[in-house]
Amino acid sequence: MVAFAAGLGGLALVAPGPAALPEQRVAGRPVQVPSDGYASSSSCRACHPGQYASWHGSYHRTMTQVATPETVAASFDGVIVDNVPGSPMLLEQRGRRLSAVFDDPDDEVKGLAPESDSARPRRIDRQVVMTTGSHNQQIYWYATGNSRVLGQLPAIWLTADRRWIPRRAAVMHPPGQSPMSETGSWNGVCVACHTTNGQPQLDTPFGSQPILTQVADTRAAEFGISCEACHGPGEPHLHANRSPLRRYVLHLIGRGDSTVVQPMRLNPRLSSQVCGQCHSFWEFSNPQSERRANAHGLPYRPGDELAETRFIVQPTKNLGSPAMQAFLAADPGFIRDIFWSDGMVRATGREYNGMIDSPCYRNATKDARTMSCFSCHTMHKTSDDARMIGEWADDQLAPRAVGNQACLQCHARTIQDVTAHTKHRADSAGSSCYNCHMPYTTYGLLKTIRSHQISSPSVRATVDTGRPDACNLCHLDKTLAWTADYLEKWYATAKPRLGDEEQSVAASLLWLLSGDAGQRAIVAQSLGWAPAQQASGTGWIAPYLALFLDDPYDAVRYIASRSLKTLPGFQAFAFDYVAPQTTRAAQRIQAMQIWRATRDGRIPGRAQLLINADGSFNAEVINRLSRERNNRRVVYRE
Amino acid sequence: MTAPEYSRRHLRFGWWSLLLFATLGLLLESLQGFKVRAYLDVSNETRRLMWTLAHAHGTLLALVHVIFGLTMRATPPTVMPHLHLISSSLIAASVLLPGGFFLGGIAFYSGDPGLGILLVPIGGVLLLFAVFWIARGSSARR
Repeated sequence: MVAFAAGLGGLALVAPGPAALPEQRVAGRPVQVPSDGYASSSSCRACHPGQYASWHGSYHRTMTQVATPETVAASFDGVIVDNVPGSPMLLEQRGRRLSAVFDDPDDEVKGLAPESDSARPRRIDRQVVMTTGSHNQQIYWYATGNSRVLGQLPAIWLTADRRWIPRRAAVMHPPGQSPMSETGSWNGVCVACHTTNGQPQLDTPFGSQPILTQVADTRAAEFGISCEACHGPGEPHLHANRSPLRRYVLHLIGRGDSTVVQPMRLNPRLSSQVCGQCHSFWEFSNPQSERRANAHGLPYRPGDELAETRFIVQPTKNLGSPAMQAFLAADPGFIRDIFWSDGMVRATGREYNGMIDSPCYRNATKDARTMSCFSCHTMHKTSDDARMIGEWADDQLAPRAVGNQACLQCHARTIQDVTAHTKHRADSAGSSCYNCHMPYTTYGLLKTIRSHQISSPSVRATVDTGRPDACNLCHLDKTLAWTADYLEKWYATAKPRLGDEEQSVAASLLWLLSGDAGQRAIVAQSLGWAPAQQASGTGWIAPYLALFLDDPYDAVRYIASRSLKTLPGFQAFAFDYVAPQTTRAAQRIQAMQIWRATRDGRIPGRAQLLINADGSFNAEVINRLSRERNNRRVVYRE
Repeated sequence: MTAPEYSRRHLRFGWWSLLLFATLGLLLESLQGFKVRAYLDVSNETRRLMWTLAHAHGTLLALVHVIFGLTMRATPPTVMPHLHLISSSLIAASVLLPGGFFLGGIAFYSGDPGLGILLVPIGGVLLLFAVFWIARGSSARR
């Protein structure tokens, strides 16, 4: 009897919980159902445990997840989120179900200031079913109740700050516009790159009619970017390799397996296209291919020629093409919102466009000496990599690419005497290949990242495009003329004609005070960058950053406040970049008080930093430059 | 060779073998304890499995030898035919099975063990052969 009871108890310990609904029968959200030869990552695990583990630790896997108490980064335990348009959003966890009560972003009266109850947006209570992202931000999607169409919660979770922010404040977006609805975006757009073999399965073309009147049977082989996104459908590989004889023959002869794509064995052009399928800016070549993709997903498979099934936007090559002209006619910001005027990409997530315009790729004649994404990145942490998996996952750099070794693969001779080439101390930030040839001039997700178009510092390009150059992003206290002088002296680079202020005022201040929101964001981040602070000093930075705590763009305010916190005395400075303007103004005054209290005596006069001999700021020039600010509407397709 | 000599042979082989594979177990525990990446990394999962199997098979087979040696003492020699073959097969199996697993874990191909694993099926067949004849002999009337 005792043994029987003990047995029952033991069974209870190992018995599974309530059976989960089979994925095909889940309603209200997209489902993950392998088809078209896809098998899902769980099939890869047994034979490739190391590769599976490193992929599992990557942010590619968690790009899309079903929302559960385990996968959401934020708490849903009775949380009230004030940072949303309209009434606060209430988040609740009921059992394992996550719910949100909020103003319906698709209600007709959205964005109107309510004068009476009847004008208030409709309140809705929806189940949160999916998440996007986990690295920088996490976005939450709810079931709209219309087929598998998803809507987006009006606030998102900012991972680094562990706080909720309005959706609009997470991207570079012009101020003063009405709240936006992202309903249907997941089904029509995100599914393409944030899942493996995503299929929107929309009944009519996406965007052709109101999304809530469309029917979507959206599905994917797997949520997140999994093994088969890069290796292609795995079913033939699985089937063929049930034979141990076949496997051992392949092991022994060391030849690739023809039943699966191994990107590392493709030529550099095709292997980079595997990454480029998502990390690029592209458009459908024609309405028919768009309609096919809306229904059945994108036709590209790893190993294919990417340009055969889509139009890769590359202004340096195809600006004059009929396709590009048609896109520009439909949307004048088509290029401007993604590229600098010389065709260099300026938005993150489009690294492929930058890489293929790099001389290391464009001018290469031999595969062995052609740069590819895999020259620096590895999708599987290698066994010789001593970093923790979280550290590797941050940018998935191969160990050889962590420092100058990345470039030494080809430029070993050039760099034999580092100082002779860089004119900087060998162990300094000025001798880092990355800092000069891949400066932080692309922006996305509230930060700047390195440009993936390899280039050399050029004042001419800076003057022509407005793109901050590598030298002045580190030497923040120097003018463009100073940079031009050194580039001429050291590298015989011809000096361009410069205006008065380009010769007398630090380039960083010109971009910060007069630049567009994109330039301001780039410089605001550099002002918090340790190597730049080391090269330029920190005593003068705080007042300038404080100016931008009141920038009209949320993103610029956020970056300015983050940089401010890197300065001595500001570590505990509290600034809410989405608070009402009056609150922000008070916090800005507080920032100036901190600066005055922490500075070490009077700051020395420096004309190029607009600091007078008596330590006061040259308000006249600062105000004039501020009035000349480029207030063009800046939108990044992040 | 007489039955008592076979008995001594297997007792001797069993105990020394047990010492060897118990030592291997201790070594594996040390690799765990000192968190040796060559053993514990996920990419070395195949090695961990193979060496664990080598330890388990080696230890169990060592005990089989001891039991067989004792069985011989309790069984009249006339009822155990093919004694030489049984003894040789059991010893060969005890070398090939754990040895194959161990070698398969030294160099391997991601989820597939190294070629040493080919010794395992040979050892397995020899073990089945030996166990069948021991079982048959144990069932025979005295």
